[in-house]
Amino acid sequence: QEFRFGPCRVQGVALQELREAFWTVKDTVQAKDNITSVRLLRKEVLQDVSDAESCYLIRALLKFYLNTVFKNYLDEAADVRIRRSFSTLANNFFVIASKLQPSEDEMFSISESARRRFLLFQRAFKQLDIQAAQTKAFGEVDILLTWMEKFYEF
Amino acid sequence: CISGGLPKPTNITFLSINMKNILQWSPPEGLQGAEVTYTVQYFIYGQKKWLSKSECRNINRTCCDLSVETSDYEHQYYAKVKAIWETNCSKWAETGRFYPFLETQIGPPRVALTTDEKSISIVLTAPEKWKRSPEESSISMRQIYSNLKYNVSIYNTKSNRMWSQCVTNHTLVLVWLEPDTLYCILVESFVPGPPRLAQPSEKQCVRTLKDQTSALRVKII
Repeated sequence: QEFRFGPCRVQGVALQELREAFWTVKDTVQAKDNITSVRLLRKEVLQDVSDAESCYLIRALLKFYLNTVFKNYLDEAADVRIRRSFSTLANNFFVIASKLQPSEDEMFSISESARRRFLLFQRAFKQLDIQAAQTKAFGEVDILLTWMEKFYEF
Repeated sequence: CISGGLPKPTNITFLSINMKNILQWSPPEGLQGAEVTYTVQYFIYGQKKWLSKSECRNINRTCCDLSVETSDYEHQYYAKVKAIWETNCSKWAETGRFYPFLETQIGPPRVALTTDEKSISIVLTAPEKWKRSPEESSISMRQIYSNLKYNVSIYNTKSNRMWSQCVTNHTLVLVWLEPDTLYCILVESFVPGPPRLAQPSEKQCVRTLKDQTSALRVKII
């Protein structure tokens, strides 16, 4: 079982565990998101991502989730199930992000197009109130995991 | 109509099998049997407005086929329904966020069996995705889920022994079976990921052939 984001390899992460962690809290978390007219991980962010771009993009997204989405969200998460799911996701995101080493000699255009995709996501996030944006981003982890699965070797 | 004059419909959910997405609900509490009609709307997550489906406006039945409207399975959706009776109507009852790619049930495969004396060959054909019309070209669910697997359950009717095997590709040969014995086989499709309801195939039973060598020995004696 291994993630292959282009040249970046990540072993030792069970995608199924992440899925189950999110699935137990999906309805609860998504029900808190009232801004249904906004989708952060839109198709323009994740569709047709090349292998070469994927390492840059996934690292930027996971770091953002760790530093901006999960970091403060914890105070609000009183429900034990959400806390457990939350820590499983955060710990695994940390493991994946720490193992990703996008190569420096990749063409600038590739990292630049990955960065543009990430900026689409970040800009949409920043247009919302921070707590609403964190709730929405957490509620979209199923979209993120579904995209990550495309780079996963069972 | 006076909104809120009626209780809301209940148990509103999507029943989704091979991307055929049916919205279904139960009548409002206490109004079973009354001449209640319903109106449905749906919403694509990330877009701006609720949309109507004309075939599901003022209907008597408690289901609405939203397969066409929710056919882009990488999108996520909401749906809502309200009840109308005479001059009163309920507030909207709404689903959670529906993600067809992760929530559709994978139907059973087609199962073809051929037997030998001590073996049974099983050939599985993945189910087909729902399509708008028979003329539309078929898409196998395997094309959507490359990690589609099968759980094959085998039951020996003579010894009452049952076992199952997980299969990734579409063929399986069961060996070291007993000759002249009736075996029953059930197959379920599944995809690693969130828990999905499973639909087993029809049970199929076949008999292994008689052991030719013992028949020959009898002749010789």
